[in-house]
Amino acid sequence: MGSQKRIAKELSELTASPPDGITVTLLDEANLYEWKVLMEGPEGSPYQGGIFQIRLVLPTEYPFKPPTVSFATKIYHPNVTNDDKGSMCLGMLRPDEWKPSSKIGAVLEFARQLLAEPMPDDAIEGRIAEQYKNDNKRYDEIAREWTRKHANKT
Amino acid sequence: MSLSKPPWNHFGPHHPFPDKQRFHSFYRDAPSFLPPLGFSISAALVPPVTSNMSNSANMNALSQDEMERFQKLSNEFEPDVQVCDSPPSPSLASQARKADPAKGPLVSTKQSSHNIAMEYANADPAFARKTNALAVTHPTVRIMKGDGNCGWRAVAFGYFETLFSRLDPIRVRHEMARFKSLNTMLSQVGLQEHLYEIFTDATDEILTQTHQAIQNGEPDEEFLVSAFNDEYSANAVITHFRLLTSAWMKLNPQRYQAYLTLPLDQYCATRIEPVRTEIDEIGLQALVDGVLEGAEFGVEILYLDRSEGENVTPHQLTPIRPPGATIRLLYRPGHYDLLYRAESTYQSPPPVNMTPMVNLQYDMTSNLAAWDQGALNFDVNSQLMSIPNLMADPGFGMGAPGPMSPMPSVSPTPTSPFRLSPSQEMYSSPMQSHVSSHAPSHAQSHAPVPSIPVSSPTPTIPSAAPPPMTSLPSRSSDGPQIRLNPLVMKPNLSYSLPVTTPFKNSPYNQAHFQNSDFQPIHYEPNDSRRS
Repeated sequence: MGSQKRIAKELSELTASPPDGITVTLLDEANLYEWKVLMEGPEGSPYQGGIFQIRLVLPTEYPFKPPTVSFATKIYHPNVTNDDKGSMCLGMLRPDEWKPSSKIGAVLEFARQLLAEPMPDDAIEGRIAEQYKNDNKRYDEIAREWTRKHANKT
Repeated sequence: MSLSKPPWNHFGPHHPFPDKQRFHSFYRDAPSFLPPLGFSISAALVPPVTSNMSNSANMNALSQDEMERFQKLSNEFEPDVQVCDSPPSPSLASQARKADPAKGPLVSTKQSSHNIAMEYANADPAFARKTNALAVTHPTVRIMKGDGNCGWRAVAFGYFETLFSRLDPIRVRHEMARFKSLNTMLSQVGLQEHLYEIFTDATDEILTQTHQAIQNGEPDEEFLVSAFNDEYSANAVITHFRLLTSAWMKLNPQRYQAYLTLPLDQYCATRIEPVRTEIDEIGLQALVDGVLEGAEFGVEILYLDRSEGENVTPHQLTPIRPPGATIRLLYRPGHYDLLYRAESTYQSPPPVNMTPMVNLQYDMTSNLAAWDQGALNFDVNSQLMSIPNLMADPGFGMGAPGPMSPMPSVSPTPTSPFRLSPSQEMYSSPMQSHVSSHAPSHAQSHAPVPSIPVSSPTPTIPSAAPPPMTSLPSRSSDGPQIRLNPLVMKPNLSYSLPVTTPFKNSPYNQAHFQNSDFQPIHYEPNDSRRS
């Protein structure tokens, strides 16, 4: 199957030379389609110092459909659902904007970049986006607090 | 979800809109802009600022607004697909009769074009008329699923189908090697092999199947229909074609940038590479240039739109190719399908009812083949584009007439009704050879004139009044030996191109026995060839 071949190659590339602040492992060694990703909060963001666990799931139609990215660690962010799913779906991750030539590595870098620079105009959590735009200081405080509480290094 | 705008400017630098003015001066400064291929971007790709002019030519080019509307229509096909995401059922036959592009298999079996006519029976009269006429000239059609990939899928399927129909295993081998060599383009634009190899593998796999099918003597292209209805491998082939197109455009930016309203890299990232993004005309031309050109297949689009006329408007994206090697796409707003001409017409020149809307000025210089050639060989150059009606005139061949139109350069004086007869092309073009075989023996008197000096003596026929025939110049003149009777300029004869057919049967022809100046065909044969 084409997708496995490609996923295996992408995985080995990512484990051999991981992008900044990102560590990738398989959730279950026997299943190429579910990845566990550890992401350090980017410097200068309220998420700095935290380590976020992300679940990356690849569809069987990969790479013709995008992977789904969800935060297993709770995070206060306009673009991540504030529920137990913690899903993130925008930009290159949208099914109709996905390019089959995109790599998983680029997806992860995109996600990390989103922590540094939220996109309030494409927000999924309107309330947090509102706050991010109008009361950035308060947003910063809460995000920092959540990071301390939920994304502590263990 | 309340997400709306793509974040493409998020990663890269924000690209401002290109300055149209700048592109124009670019073209002025670079009149030698001529694509590296045997043909140039044709009227379909006229940049927005000049698009009103392309309307005067054969194709009723769509305005920017309409294009956007069609793209929107195309995009709106997508929701249907979201619903039917499951792989197509293997019982293709049961679905094949459906002409609704949003349902049914990814690629249908061939079906009657009457189905399309039926769809439009109660629609806009222009569509009804055209689809009815279409069902006569192109009796079969293959419906592509309208999932935002239909244009890509139609071209890709048409490519393999045409390749298979040639029944030439060596050619298939050659294509395998050619696709392998195209990988360098992908690497050149920075794609890593492990990211694209599953796409190239899929194309290679179908080429291998094609090769085997030819060697096993398979009766039809059923194997291709199955391959293209396997969603994964069809997607892989389509993605392969998308990536090659994108890479080709990035490597040949000068050929496309002026036609784009956004920077080329951004265009490729948002309009070519993403899944389920329908192909537009520029993308289609790039696909033809970058991926299909090496196969030497022709690609023709038949536009089903509300433009005037009784027939769909054909448009050639490539030079004319040998019969049977042309992929024909039917375009209707927001959707592409594959069309097939009636088998028996393969050897014919374009049937009468396929005649494009012709500006009468063209009629005088060209038969249809030469006319298309001329349009394709035209050097897209801003100065020339600014002269109305100039584009398709092969007389303006810039000293570089097309391979199939050995027409000597002729004074392009637009007011002169005297042009070199197209008979030369007719006799030299293999596609038209039957015309000469039907021609009576006195056709000899139409022997080609090797060259007509631009300063040839002013012809003496008054441009307005055809009769009396006594005003025909004498045979001893050094002017063109073939003269178009001004009658052929009459609108009611404009559909009877090539013009020599009515002319040779006309009493105005001196070789016709009813002509008052009737001359035996052997009249001064040496003289008539002297020049």
